[in-house]
Amino acid sequence: MAKEKPNPEKLLPLTSSVFHILLALSDGDLHGYGIMQEVAEHTGGQIKLGPGTLYGAIKRLLGNGLIVETDQRPDPEMDDERRRYYRLTDFGQQVLKAEVQRISKLVSVAQRKRLLPKRS
Amino acid sequence: MSNRLFQLMLRAYPREFRLEYGSDMTQLFRDCHRDIQSNGLICAIAFWRRMIWDVIRTAPLERWEALERRYKTMKNLKSDLIGLLACIAILIVMFLLLGYVRKYQVARMWGYSLDAIISAGIISNLIIFPLTIATRLSAFRTVFWTLLLVNGALLLIATLIGIRVGGFNFPAVLASYLVSFVFWLSFHWLRSQMRPQLS
Repeated sequence: MAKEKPNPEKLLPLTSSVFHILLALSDGDLHGYGIMQEVAEHTGGQIKLGPGTLYGAIKRLLGNGLIVETDQRPDPEMDDERRRYYRLTDFGQQVLKAEVQRISKLVSVAQRKRLLPKRS
Repeated sequence: MSNRLFQLMLRAYPREFRLEYGSDMTQLFRDCHRDIQSNGLICAIAFWRRMIWDVIRTAPLERWEALERRYKTMKNLKSDLIGLLACIAILIVMFLLLGYVRKYQVARMWGYSLDAIISAGIISNLIIFPLTIATRLSAFRTVFWTLLLVNGALLLIATLIGIRVGGFNFPAVLASYLVSFVFWLSFHWLRSQMRPQLS
């Protein structure tokens, strides 16, 4: 029985933590601590995900098929086997792109209203 | 000490969540704690404030979701019970009808079909209900294959006995088991429509 293809738009808007987790995973597979560090880095330390926020979001992302757990290790020699790595799925990528487009439209509106300088 | 305190804080989350993510959360806590250990008291206070606030914010949400899941299971059990009672009611009606058919010698085909519906119904439903309730397998697929196997096995047994005894009407028996299969499949299909999340 073919499963109905989910619509990425239905999951929008994403919560801030979910958006940042997906953005962190867009570069490659990461474990929980890696995700947390990546999020802290690309938000300039403004967002530091706590264990509850991170794993609560991961649970929901796994449930919605936006990410999957992966057995492959980016660098097996340097890694602790007990850590679980997560990977963005094709559907997760679609949802992330849709969210970026939504935010980009909002930025355009803000630019038209001269709340933001226009990019050259 | 810090680890023990965090383990205590983890108790705020529901058991299933702790079993699935508890060790990962502890590992993450250890990593973060290690990062701030040499940064002084102010950093340590900020760190603990962040951890406590994180638990206060997320644990009730996880508890709420666990409660919702449990409520859904209760609802499923209720619909299973209604299905089981409906199934027993059907079997009783079929028994009464069979008695009537035998008493008044109504068309034989009816008798065969009622026999098949009763025997296949008792055996299949004894397998289907415990299996779908205990395992939460795809309910409709389990029903389909159980009914197919049970009706097929009964048809085979009836054929083998019929050939030995003689005067065996194979087309009528085959048709009766087909009727039984379609009947019970329709019944369970209707039941699955009342519980769409499991069908």
